[in-house]
Amino acid sequence: MVLKLYGTPYAFGATAVVAMVLLEKHIPFEFVLVDLKTGAHKTREFRERHPFGNVPCIEDDGFIVYESRAIARYLADKYADQDHGPRLIPVPTKVQERAVFEQGASVENVNFFPSVLKVIQEKFEKPLHGETTDEVALAGYIAELSKVLSVYDDILSKQRFMGGDEFSLVDIFHVGTGPGLALGGIDVMISTGPNVARWWNDVISRPSWVKLQAEGIKSSV
Amino acid sequence: MVLKLYARKFVSGGTAIVALVLAEKQIPFELIEIDLPTNQNKTPEHLVRHPFGQIPCIDDDGFVLYESRAICRYLCDKYPDQGTQGLYPTGLKERALVEQGASVELTDFIPYVLQVFRELYLKPSHGQQTDQAVVDQALAELYKKLDVYEVILGKTKYLAGDEFTLADLFHLLAAPRLADLGVDIWSERGPNVQRWWKDISTRPAWLKLRAEGVTETTTTN
Repeated sequence: MVLKLYGTPYAFGATAVVAMVLLEKHIPFEFVLVDLKTGAHKTREFRERHPFGNVPCIEDDGFIVYESRAIARYLADKYADQDHGPRLIPVPTKVQERAVFEQGASVENVNFFPSVLKVIQEKFEKPLHGETTDEVALAGYIAELSKVLSVYDDILSKQRFMGGDEFSLVDIFHVGTGPGLALGGIDVMISTGPNVARWWNDVISRPSWVKLQAEGIKSSV
Repeated sequence: MVLKLYARKFVSGGTAIVALVLAEKQIPFELIEIDLPTNQNKTPEHLVRHPFGQIPCIDDDGFVLYESRAICRYLCDKYPDQGTQGLYPTGLKERALVEQGASVELTDFIPYVLQVFRELYLKPSHGQQTDQAVVDQALAELYKKLDVYEVILGKTKYLAGDEFTLADLFHLLAAPRLADLGVDIWSERGPNVQRWWKDISTRPAWLKLRAEGVTETTTTN
């Protein structure tokens, strides 16, 4: 049975992270749109799949996984063979490579994500709820994010991507939040340092991401 | 060569979960204390090990790794057959459920715990005032999430199934410190959550660690 992806249809947020993995790995999937505006993610039925009432989640022949970073690892581990595009995660028996990958994944989840989320909430989400962006607070959040990206620049002077020398899920984890910044005129992803700029351009010029930005998320079958 | 742990003796934060995995897996290690009040974590020497200038990090016979959750995964992958079994299973679906639970810890648990900890401990220790409204809001959000944990833990004994895994263990990173500050987040939660928290927070290795602090062990001990 074809894998089902439940989530939002945009090239933004956690559903987009999973969609990019599915495209990179050539995994066929059926996209099931969950309309957040109508509270479709909070129904009793939906919470049978995702008890926290969030998106995305997947259903793989009856096996349900939620949390985009867990879904991504599951898909990459399941489809590790050569017919499914780039590996995107070192095999668990390559213990040190896998550890460097997990180090990068933790950096994204613990250092990058909370910082970029504050910027996104202040700049984009507040106006959506009729509130005004606090420009002083926003400047502070951008400065915090820039500090994180300065360390990224140091890391990326020693390894090509954030999970090691190969493009991986760790880099993909950044597309749920990073690309939106430029839309608000916030250019930290390319202005903080030359290594971050080189890395970020590599990530967002992947054909899978270009396709998602152009077409949104759609069933592949 | 014995694994080096750069950390401090006090059992808190990332150091706590790494020290617990070392104990559970009976892995010998040497403790190299990094003194935070004198900014030993910001020396050029330490920044080479840990570009974000934090603790813990490890040097395993020349292999340097930071991010406590990555270190924990690495130690489990490297020593699958010794000490406590099943902390980080290798089966595809089993591992996916551990990663799902680990992601929940980062998304739905620790941000609120850290907000409370910051207001009640970090800010006063730097002469700043606690914002009680922030504390109340963070606790309200945390309790809503723990209501979902109650549902999950009504179906399985632990977060990723019926065995204790890293998904449960990671919750010991910061939450015990709230009890130290006199904040009880558990005794008014549901029976499943209370059962689970009592189980994981009274594991013999954890009790020993909290009583004695991080204590290096070597093969000669």
